[in-house]
Amino acid sequence: MRFAILVALGCMAVSQPALAHKLIPQGKPVEVAKSTLTVTPTTDWNRLSQRPGRVAETWTLDGDELNDLTFYGGVEDNKTLFREVDKKNRPLPRFASDMLLADIPALVEASYRIARGTTIFNITVMEPTQFAGHKGIRFSYEFVGGDDVRRKGEADAAIVQGRLYMTSFEAPALHFFDQSIEEYRALRSTIAL
Amino acid sequence: MLFVAALTVPNTIAAQDFTLPTWSGAYQPQGSDEAGLWMLADEHERVMRDSPVVMTDENLNAYVKRVLCRTVGDDRCAATRIYIVRAPVFNANMAPNGTMRVYTGLLLRARSEAELAAVLGHEFAHFEQRHNLAAYKRFRTGSDIMAWAALLGATAAAMGLDTGSSVRDTQIAVLGSYYRYGREDEREADQLGFSYLASAGYKPSAAADIWRAVMNEADHSAAARGRRSRRYDGVAFFSTHPTELERADTLALLANRVDGGDREGADAYRQALAPWRGQFLADQLKLNDFGASDYLLQRLAGEEWTSDLLFARAELYRERGNPRDLVASAEFYRSALAGKPSLAAAWRGLGLALMRSGERTAGQEALGRYLELSPEASDARMIEMMVEE
Repeated sequence: MRFAILVALGCMAVSQPALAHKLIPQGKPVEVAKSTLTVTPTTDWNRLSQRPGRVAETWTLDGDELNDLTFYGGVEDNKTLFREVDKKNRPLPRFASDMLLADIPALVEASYRIARGTTIFNITVMEPTQFAGHKGIRFSYEFVGGDDVRRKGEADAAIVQGRLYMTSFEAPALHFFDQSIEEYRALRSTIAL
Repeated sequence: MLFVAALTVPNTIAAQDFTLPTWSGAYQPQGSDEAGLWMLADEHERVMRDSPVVMTDENLNAYVKRVLCRTVGDDRCAATRIYIVRAPVFNANMAPNGTMRVYTGLLLRARSEAELAAVLGHEFAHFEQRHNLAAYKRFRTGSDIMAWAALLGATAAAMGLDTGSSVRDTQIAVLGSYYRYGREDEREADQLGFSYLASAGYKPSAAADIWRAVMNEADHSAAARGRRSRRYDGVAFFSTHPTELERADTLALLANRVDGGDREGADAYRQALAPWRGQFLADQLKLNDFGASDYLLQRLAGEEWTSDLLFARAELYRERGNPRDLVASAEFYRSALAGKPSLAAAWRGLGLALMRSGERTAGQEALGRYLELSPEASDARMIEMMVEE
């Protein structure tokens, strides 16, 4: 019995780091998403250890489902935004370096629909912006995820030297999006490449 | 082999008759298994009713209900509640408590009332014969457990089921949790399904038409991805309804034996779906499934490519985005615009396709037309910048 408990505790000890969040303290520039994309947080964030894509990284304030800031650090030509969920039957769309900025929201939408089983996804605004000094696109969207929760999102993207750099913030439309969107807006003004 | 099958099938069908059995009316569950299934179905229905994924459009709901009622008759129809689930997947299912889920992917693929009636009637037949209970009992005995796992896998594949258990519960409530029917159940449901079609006067061959189309679509999807498709379990509907290649042939043979009518209802169907077809098409196009989508568009077009279908095809090619696709898509946009010059989204697509192909001036001109037609568009500022630069 005692042995069983020890084994169980041992397993917890081993599995714990895999789920651990890492504190990202405010005020210190930090490189994100395995790239030269650098941001300086204006508040404390938590980095999730699980990456949604090969060159992506997710931060949160209150928890993954409540608010979710994702960085994509230079997706290369012919690569997907997320890890494939079922490459054989439902392959994800791929970024192409000749895409126009206006094509990016559709790429994001299709990726969400396939990777997350989202059936309702609306892009509500698209406008030009500056992304770390490069010409970029800013877009807002709303979607219903697999958990039936309506979420809102805001994203900024640019294509620099054939690679896609993007940041996005998402949270449930009810309360959480409005609560924290300004944190994201403050952070994105610190983006450097 | 196929030849042998074709020869043997008529003998098994010869004994069938297509008179409708008496409807027993308000049925209540018998025994603990069935009571449990009903309880679960009731709970799922409560969750689903409030889901944002369920379509609330009254006209569309009323129309689908009318088609079901016409197919199975008002008495039977009174035992059902229909929910239209916004999901670009060919599927429909019916829970033991009378909840019928109709996916928008089915509404998009049917070309006529008769085709929709064939699928709804088939589902209702499983319900009337309480096949769900039989399938559940099989599942409980364990002999069917692998099949059940395959079904869950296929639903997941079709819908991107999340792995978190709370999420999965919600999704199963909305999408329906079903056991795989047995082959004998399928035969019974086919026979009863044809009886409904016959008594309603619908054209019985519609059943084989839509079955064959969905199987063809799966083949096209696989081919475009460089795979061969031999089984159809990847199609959500077929994962609960075991299907083989010869299935459509069997249905065609059955159709010949039943004294059906010739009602197709293609015009009524098109009219009822008109407000939604563009949206359902757009949902389909975003699945990154070029082969399936292109086949589907060609089937819907038939002899005549309408502007909305040309536009959808143009979007499909532009999204795949190879240089040759961009050229083809510009052509499709132009054809769509020739039929309907006010189609703002087609000017947008044409502009983007041309710009991406390097035809900047022509592209900007098309984008300019888009802005003239819809100055308030959600992407107007982005497009303005592209026109000006």
